[in-house]
Amino acid sequence: MDIIIYGIINSVSLALMAVGFTLVYGVSRLPNFAHGALYILTGYLTWILMNRAGLNYVFSAIIALGLTGLIGAAMYQLVLIRVRGMPISEIIASYAIGLAILEGLRWGGLKGGTFRLPPFVEGSVTVLGVSVDFQRIFVVILGATLMGALWLFVNNTKLGLALKGMAQDERAALTLGIDSDRMAVTATAIGSMLAGAAAIILLPLGSIAVESGYHVLIMAVAVCIVGGLGSWTGAVLAAFIIGFAQILSVVYFGAHYQAVVALLAIVITLICRPSGLFGRQKELEERV
Amino acid sequence: MFEAAGLMVFYENMLALNNVSLQCGANKIVGVFGANSAGKSTLMYTLSGIILDIRKKEEMAGGERMTIRGRIVYEGKDIMSDKPSLRARKGIILCPERRRIFPESTVLENLRIGSYLATTAQAAETLDYVLTTFPALKRILKRFGGFLSGGEQQMLAIGRALMAQPKVLLLDEPLLGLSPAIQYLLAKAIKEIRDQRGMSIIVSEQYARPIIPIIDYGYILENGAAVVEGSKQELLDNPDVKSAYFGN
Ligand SMILES: Nc1ncnc2c1ncn2[C@@H]1O[C@H](COP(=O)(O)OP(=O)(O)OP(=O)(O)O)[C@@H](O)[C@H]1O
Ligand SMILES: [Mg+2]
Repeated sequence: MDIIIYGIINSVSLALMAVGFTLVYGVSRLPNFAHGALYILTGYLTWILMNRAGLNYVFSAIIALGLTGLIGAAMYQLVLIRVRGMPISEIIASYAIGLAILEGLRWGGLKGGTFRLPPFVEGSVTVLGVSVDFQRIFVVILGATLMGALWLFVNNTKLGLALKGMAQDERAALTLGIDSDRMAVTATAIGSMLAGAAAIILLPLGSIAVESGYHVLIMAVAVCIVGGLGSWTGAVLAAFIIGFAQILSVVYFGAHYQAVVALLAIVITLICRPSGLFGRQKELEERV
Repeated sequence: MFEAAGLMVFYENMLALNNVSLQCGANKIVGVFGANSAGKSTLMYTLSGIILDIRKKEEMAGGERMTIRGRIVYEGKDIMSDKPSLRARKGIILCPERRRIFPESTVLENLRIGSYLATTAQAAETLDYVLTTFPALKRILKRFGGFLSGGEQQMLAIGRALMAQPKVLLLDEPLLGLSPAIQYLLAKAIKEIRDQRGMSIIVSEQYARPIIPIIDYGYILENGAAVVEGSKQELLDNPDVKSAYFGN
């Protein structure tokens, strides 16, 4: 029972970490390697707004999310737009931005342990005989709600459908009046806000540390590679596979194998099925 | 009136369009005929602005250098420097070569993505119209784009382009690879669309035969140059055209 409950919690956490990265890659073929930095940045901004500006938790979180969205959009509009279509440069540029943010925060004094966001509600409950703190319950509920909302947005709004079209066939979308730069800015902003939302939901479980920025990026990349780059269904499935594999490894081999699982999953996927579970690699090859 | 003058497109040093000029009046259907590699798609991409995007991508990837020259005048303005999304907003909609249906979206979703530029009312009205014109789509609304037959794909591609509220509709080889029966049905539908909804249509094909009955005017493209032009009757009466484009 422990395994199932903590497996679900862990899987939803991973899906949360990865969903923004997948969205941006799916829509604009842009691997946003600043993803983890945006995650930490949102946590840090929320902390600052609460502890330095004295705003309440909800307000701080909303403002921090908005700022992260703007930073994501600016990042695309000012930097990434110049290197579109050059995958290596896209990775280097976005990673450099991520490094600048994370190392800037470290330099500014962000250290693990001291910076914490409080849990939404203190305490814990017993679910099917397993004791779970409220925050982890929130992770599952809010995580599922967020994915549901995203699904509704993508399938029912004009903007969402345009993003979906752009993700499938850029040229066809262009002929219908859907602008690729505008979609890329939108996707980067939404993706950044999703990274931020994940941070606000997940960070109360630990502390705001530069290292978790790198950790989140690695997890997002792992989930996307296993799921198939750019596939949203694949990403959710992969989050569950890796999520449960991690919990199993903790139970049977010990806690420090958890990090290895994600990397192992990447390696196994690349060897057995390079395009991932729901990959579009073939199409990508055709494009070249 | 939609008017292109002196269009030149080079892929590196290869001349793909050589000084092509073309006109399409309001509510007219204009045919562009040419063999493989004559430059039909290059012309369509130039008219719709997609060529600007292709050039941008080539530049980014450090690939071949493309040069694009000429004028396209639409509603009294030169739109040559307008990017594709802006031209689409002005009503110039391309239904691209090989259809490019969104494979992971259902038929209905393809049409809904197509209505990006339409108001809610326009989208509802046009959806109705598309399903009346192509009743075959009605039965497969929930099927994924990737699973459609060639004929169904082409109906969907035209329907999706209509959802974008075109005033100038560009059709790049809509009959490619289809059976004569479906070719006939589609040609009839294209004429009906013009008659019922009032728009200019420019349609390219390799073989003129199935399309010639519905055109008002036509151009023959050879090696990137418009070598012959004329009304339907003039093209039919031209012996060179007859042997080359009405064969089989
Ligand atoms: N991206 C490109 N780079 C280099 N050359 C190109 C490119 N696109 C087209 N060409 C060349 O330009 C010429 C015209 O091609 P285009 O696709 O316009 O012909 P087409 O008339 O549409 O042919 P088809 O009937 O086969 O579709 C061809 O010789 C083609 O090889
Ligand atoms: Mg062609």
